[in-house]
Amino acid sequence: MALRSVDLAVERGEIHGLVGANGAGKSTLVKILSGVLGPDAGVVEVAGRAVRLRSPAHARASGLAPVFQDPAFAPDLTVAENLRLTGTDQGAFRRRVGELGLDGVELGEPAGSLPLPLLRMLDLARVLAHDPALLLLDEITAALPADYADRVFAAIRQAREEGRSVLFISHRLLEVQEICDRVTVLRDGRNVDTYRTAESPEGFGEPQGGAPRKRGEQRIVAAMLGERAALAVTEPRRVARTSHVQPGEPALRVRGLSDGHRVRDVSLTLARGEVLGITGLEGQGQDELFAILAGDRRATDGEIVADGRRLAARHPRDAIRRGLTLVPSDRWQALLPQRSVRENLAIAHYTAPAEWGWINLDRERRQVAEAIGRLSIDTRAQAQARRLSGGNQQKVAIGRWLVGGFTTLLCFDPTRGIDVGTKHQIYDLFRELAAAGRSVLMFTSELREVPLACDRVLVLYDGRIVAELAAADADEATLLGAAHGLAEVLTES
Amino acid sequence: MATATATTRPLGPAAGRLARRHAWTGAVVTFFVLLLAWNASQTRNFGAFEIQTLLASTLPLAYLAMAQSVVVIGGGIDLSVGAMLVLINCLSARFMEGTDLRGSLLVAAGCLAVAAALGALTGLVITVSRIPDIIVTLAASFVWGGAALFVLHTPGGGTSTGFQALVLGSGSAWWPALLCLLAPLLLVWAPLRRSRTGIAVYALGSDRNAAYLSGVDPLCTRVVAYAVDGLLCGLAGLATTAFTAGGSPQSTIAMNATLNSVAAIVLGGVALSGGVGGLMGPVFAVWCLYLIPNIMLGLGVDPSYGEVVKGVVVVLVVLAGGLLRARRNRAP
Repeated sequence: MALRSVDLAVERGEIHGLVGANGAGKSTLVKILSGVLGPDAGVVEVAGRAVRLRSPAHARASGLAPVFQDPAFAPDLTVAENLRLTGTDQGAFRRRVGELGLDGVELGEPAGSLPLPLLRMLDLARVLAHDPALLLLDEITAALPADYADRVFAAIRQAREEGRSVLFISHRLLEVQEICDRVTVLRDGRNVDTYRTAESPEGFGEPQGGAPRKRGEQRIVAAMLGERAALAVTEPRRVARTSHVQPGEPALRVRGLSDGHRVRDVSLTLARGEVLGITGLEGQGQDELFAILAGDRRATDGEIVADGRRLAARHPRDAIRRGLTLVPSDRWQALLPQRSVRENLAIAHYTAPAEWGWINLDRERRQVAEAIGRLSIDTRAQAQARRLSGGNQQKVAIGRWLVGGFTTLLCFDPTRGIDVGTKHQIYDLFRELAAAGRSVLMFTSELREVPLACDRVLVLYDGRIVAELAAADADEATLLGAAHGLAEVLTES
Repeated sequence: MATATATTRPLGPAAGRLARRHAWTGAVVTFFVLLLAWNASQTRNFGAFEIQTLLASTLPLAYLAMAQSVVVIGGGIDLSVGAMLVLINCLSARFMEGTDLRGSLLVAAGCLAVAAALGALTGLVITVSRIPDIIVTLAASFVWGGAALFVLHTPGGGTSTGFQALVLGSGSAWWPALLCLLAPLLLVWAPLRRSRTGIAVYALGSDRNAAYLSGVDPLCTRVVAYAVDGLLCGLAGLATTAFTAGGSPQSTIAMNATLNSVAAIVLGGVALSGGVGGLMGPVFAVWCLYLIPNIMLGLGVDPSYGEVVKGVVVVLVVLAGGLLRARRNRAP
């Protein structure tokens, strides 16, 4: 249940912004409004009439037109065939394409051969060609080149002139502030704040302008965090802990890493005995960055130095041999669900050369027992990993490398969907590992855990590292601001 | 970065696009022509009779490959095509026995209706139950196979000579078989391909989610695809009846036919992942697969090796196609 209760009114001829942290329910709301999902309760009214949206086709017929991050084009069909599928008039489509400033679009080209940003623009043109009452734009500007984004804004403004309404969802608060008439903030599936961008920052339009706009952004950030922001201030800081960071050759050094796609010029240094956090919104290049470090993806540029030697991994095996091991976000990517806890823990061990081809079962058993004890894995359901609780599964996924051996542990969202007690066990484990001279690089989408587990945190935005903070300074509001691309604005203050 | 002009290519636009889209079919046709020429050079007085034999003996499998193509293009796979062929073969052979041409045609029409209805039913079950195609059609193949035994316990039945001549031609008249092959292409597939439902079949196989968001009704689309599949399987059954002048409920026939249909579509440029391909490519592929053992025979090689070569050719061709595609995707 991603949505609890949302009341939202978009006026005719209004650009309405919708913002919220990851998992606040923005996408679910769009799916309901576009007929993909049915609501459990509540009504959707279009122009004063209640409608039950049965399917995407029906929603479109009712005047609600979505553009998703992934364009709704069947890749093997030509653009023209895709247009026929939605019953779009080619003349109207061409006109809208012209208005968006896209020339020379070949309708006979298979949609899959066109670049993604262009396809998203064509999706917008197609939607506009249907003269919708309400445009639903879900992260349309994400990973869109700047010139395209400007054309999108122009098109949105023109749609407003034509009397259409726009629901504009974006993670980029600056553009939300700039383009929207009103903004609604979602948190935990509820709307918690709505305000008019023109009235909120007092003295809007004054030439020195920066300060009021910043106030508007701070209001959004505060609303996204809700009482949690207040809590973070009142609760005594738990940052505590002694640092175990060791001087000398770092465990991992990355310089100018790019993959020509989502990761752009990332440099970082991870000392021995350090727990380094990375955070960011969805799709800022973190998946790709971790895949590259784990040897599952190739970089086009830059270098990785692990343990003092350059690493050019062609396969995860190469990274693992150099002590760079990954605990992926999806536990089922790592675990063998049908096999026992023992086998799951020992499998990484098998990659090391066994003694003359035989597995020393005694030693394996000892090491596995040690890992189970150290992680306090609940072994009641140890016959099959899939029967463990989520927290214990995560412990097994981490414990595998305790058995297998590592220098740097790469953890992607290690506490996702895990109860609080287990979370703290995992933080404590990271601290213990650090004390023993191991290093941990962990991505987390949960900003609150940064000060609890990490020594330092980097913020990723649009494939780049935009901020670096010591754990003591890494409060939620600062991190959230930086994650929304407000790094410069915030450091000014 | 991405700009709109990136879509215009140096190659002449329309012609280049056509060439790229039908590159695979072109390759298969070329391959067929080469094989035919080789086969012709081996045979003295190669002529109409050989062409008629080729067309008539491959007619059932050609229909079956077309049937499989329709389903695979729509993102599914049908493991019951062979069993459906056997069922319709037995059904028609039992009721055509002792009839004249008119009676045979009446029975044929009835059989086609049954086949299309059973196909539609399969599609309905798949969509409503959300059980994967491969499982439902595998189960269906057992049901159709059992039903065939029920209709005809042992090989037997018959048909009218008029019907045989109409479907396959007689002597060296090769055009009736060709007309029969083209009839469903022109009467069923061509109009469908141009309709919104036909585009929806391709869209569903290409990207289910995008198709749904574009307003495609998955139920209706799949039922239509499977009904056309059933109809074409029915034609394959009737062609078998005409070719063998009887019916045979053997399950090995069904299994062989199903596997051959999959080999033919893969060779014919239909992507098993769906959304790509046509119906002509697989037909030419069927002819290629027919010619290979014949050529081996002409070379004086043990016919058993023919099957080995067939398998190797399928793998090599698909491998080469995959490599070319990968290179083209890397190029821009």
